Amino acid sequence: MSQALTASKAEVSPRGSKTGRMRSRSGFLGFWSQFFRRPYGVVGLALLAVYVILAVAAPWLTPYRPSDTFLADRLAAPSWAGIFPRFRGVPPTKRLVIPASDWKATGLVAATVTRQKVENNGEATVINLSPEATGSASADLSWTLSYPYDPPKTFEVNIPYAVEAPWDASTSLSFKVVDPSGTEHVVWEKTVYGSSDWKTQKLDSRDYTVKMALGLSFFDDPAQVVFAERGDYHLALHVESSGGSAPVRVTVGEVGFNVLGLLHGILGTDHMGADLWTQLLYGARISLIIGIVAAIMAVAIGTAIGLISGYMGGAVDEFLMRMADVFLSVPTLPILIILSAFFGKNLGNIIILVAAFAWMGTARVVRSQTLSLKQRAFVESARAAGASDGYIMVTHLLPNVFPLVVANAVLMMPVAILYEASLSFLGLGDPRIPTWGRMLQNARAFGAFTEFAWWWLIPPGLAITLLSLSFTLIGNAVNEVLNPRYRERA
Amino acid sequence: MARAAAVRVDENSRGSTGTQARPDQEALLEVSNLVKYFPLRRGLLSALRGGPAPAVHAVDGVSFSVYKGEVYGIVGESGCGKTTLGRVLLRLIDPQQGRIVFDGQDILRLSPEEMKGLRRRMQIVFQDPYESMNPRLDVFRIVSEPLRIQGITKNQAETMERVERALTDVEMIPPDEYVYRYPHELSGGQRQRIALARALVLDPEFIVADEPVSMLDVSIRGGILNLMLRLSREKGVSFVYITHDLATARHICDRIGVMYLGKLVEEGKADDIVTTPLHPYTKALLSAVLIPDPSRKGLQQVLPGEVPNAVYPPSGCRLHPRCPLARDICRQQEPALVEKGEGHEVACHFA
Ligand SMILES: Nc1ncnc2c1ncn2[C@@H]1O[C@H](COP(=O)(O)OP(=O)(O)O)[C@@H](O)[C@H]1O
Ligand code: SF4
Ligand SMILES: [Mg+2]
Repeated sequence: MSQALTASKAEVSPRGSKTGRMRSRSGFLGFWSQFFRRPYGVVGLALLAVYVILAVAAPWLTPYRPSDTFLADRLAAPSWAGIFPRFRGVPPTKRLVIPASDWKATGLVAATVTRQKVENNGEATVINLSPEATGSASADLSWTLSYPYDPPKTFEVNIPYAVEAPWDASTSLSFKVVDPSGTEHVVWEKTVYGSSDWKTQKLDSRDYTVKMALGLSFFDDPAQVVFAERGDYHLALHVESSGGSAPVRVTVGEVGFNVLGLLHGILGTDHMGADLWTQLLYGARISLIIGIVAAIMAVAIGTAIGLISGYMGGAVDEFLMRMADVFLSVPTLPILIILSAFFGKNLGNIIILVAAFAWMGTARVVRSQTLSLKQRAFVESARAAGASDGYIMVTHLLPNVFPLVVANAVLMMPVAILYEASLSFLGLGDPRIPTWGRMLQNARAFGAFTEFAWWWLIPPGLAITLLSLSFTLIGNAVNEVLNPRYRERA
Repeated sequence: MARAAAVRVDENSRGSTGTQARPDQEALLEVSNLVKYFPLRRGLLSALRGGPAPAVHAVDGVSFSVYKGEVYGIVGESGCGKTTLGRVLLRLIDPQQGRIVFDGQDILRLSPEEMKGLRRRMQIVFQDPYESMNPRLDVFRIVSEPLRIQGITKNQAETMERVERALTDVEMIPPDEYVYRYPHELSGGQRQRIALARALVLDPEFIVADEPVSMLDVSIRGGILNLMLRLSREKGVSFVYITHDLATARHICDRIGVMYLGKLVEEGKADDIVTTPLHPYTKALLSAVLIPDPSRKGLQQVLPGEVPNAVYPPSGCRLHPRCPLARDICRQQEPALVEKGEGHEVACHFA
């Protein structure tokens, strides 16, 4: 009486299209061969591979740590920006350690200059002064610095020295920069009465003492004044002693002279002179970790809730789905802002918070898939064999929703990354951890916009965008391979 | 029996043990006054208006017994509640009313743990072999799953042995050729044999087979049905064979119950039902099988009209809107199942 029906059902043969698709979908190799047929999936995967390599190899790709500051001046542009007219002549960072042998003694009055090994400090210049005979003795040492650049913003000088003198000797040390036109700029003057143990005098051109020594006002910029010209400068050390009743011996260690450059590294520096390329590399680690961990957590929560909701049905379903509705209807970012301010700024909290507000989509998709799966006779067949609800969910439902879950997880990763970036951008990230969001937050807070520090603004933004793009491309390809029926909806 | 030839049922295997119902035999399953309805979601308005909640009366007061070693057929049109009845029998869903006594135990009163134990003894084969197995599991996992759930076998070797035995029982020979195949690598008939093997692996005494061949190619139906018959005869397994096809039911069943809209309208020995049907509905089913032009809907020609809505079933005899013999009493009074011959019961005022 229902032959027509029977015949049409019989046509669903084992070699039908339905079966063919299932077969090609099964297996790990089958998945990848399908995946690699999708160009955008491959592009996404290549992009992700670049990120992973950068993140993993970060310590080898940069000599600095993200926390290293004043590697160059604040807001130094990338080295390669020197090709643009705007940055032509901008000084690079110069870190010079002037060896003892390089000092040229120019004027010696009752003095001799020798060199001597110093423990842990290379070779020191020893200046022996004999003021006891003439009443006063002095020595001038000079070193030539070639400086063919625009004025820097900052220079630093480190002078380690020690004085051995009788109690009645007064010894003065001074450091000056002689510019190409011969003007002398005294940066430091110091008078020592009697002896002095090893000390390192650190001078920063922005220090008020330096400004005073140069006779400048608080608002002047010593670096601009001292290095106003291009050409050969002389760094000069003057030592003078008088009144002593016995010889005086001044030991000067290796003098350090740094010009904090305005061109630095691959991506320049931030407001603290920290290397932005280093921050970007280490930020990739954090973003990948957050993206992956938070997405997996969110999807795991969503899968569990979706499975339970769909399988149990009834009041449980109703409760869980209303809960999902509540979570969906609250504006996520404001809630995250409040909660992260409440729970404190650390990476773990951020991951948990992001996961807690990102599970609903997965829960809904898994639930609807579960609703249709649980109608399938194999679920009832397992129950007829005495299977418990937990067994059915884990053994029969989970593997069947798994492809959906995988695709969801991949597509969730950019969402998690963007949430973290948003929180960090708003200053709610973990302040100890370099993330892209924090880079952007710092850029905004410390003048990257007003000074148009494009090397600070563009890379983190672009990194976030491209990583999100790569996850989205991969996720869509995975979804197409694993869940052909969901293609249009994804 | 236009299609009887296509379904080549082995007459000998049945003939040897006889086709007689064996009322003297012990009942394995006794069902009385079983009621299962599915409440419909009602709108807010109708809920406010009150009154009884609308529900699909899928099974509405069914009583029958299945004897040990017997094949009992339940025959009826699609939608009359056969599948629901089968699911209730195994307590895959709980009925609203009634008693199901299996080997002396009222299974509706068993705790979940006791029920789990009992499931070793009662199994089911579903209609759609494409749906009834998890496509991600291979034959070994599918067939051995009941063993694992029930914790029967101690090791892999023992499990494999039982799986191979079950596969041999369903004539999937040699078994090791099939154990690591996936459902999609099997034909419909093979899948249904696997489903049967899965049901058999626990050595149950009772199997509900819900239209096990209706989705299979006509040419392979006979094989599956013969297999069931053989298992029933050789292993003493009792079957409830659910079908919409009186022809196949006649050939493998000892007794048949005819169902219409959630009720049994006639019950008797298979041969009696087919040779001397008493209920107008059974007669209609039979003549539909004989209608020469299968392109016209057979049953439509003898029984006009559609199967009524199971939410609001007709008053009195449920067949009355379609019955050629209907009179006033049929509309008002529901006929009870009355014994009309030896073991032959019918529910009709004019039978
Ligand atoms: N889970 C269910 N929920 C609601 N209605 C159902 C459900 N299962 C079956 N029904 C309804 O019960 C009636 C009987 O269905 P069923 O037992 O499948 O009939 P058959 O197997 O004889 O075709 C049908 O009207 C069907 O729509
Ligand atoms: S009781 Fe009346 S309506 Fe029902 S089958 Fe018999 S004759 Fe037909
Ligand atoms: Mg059915």
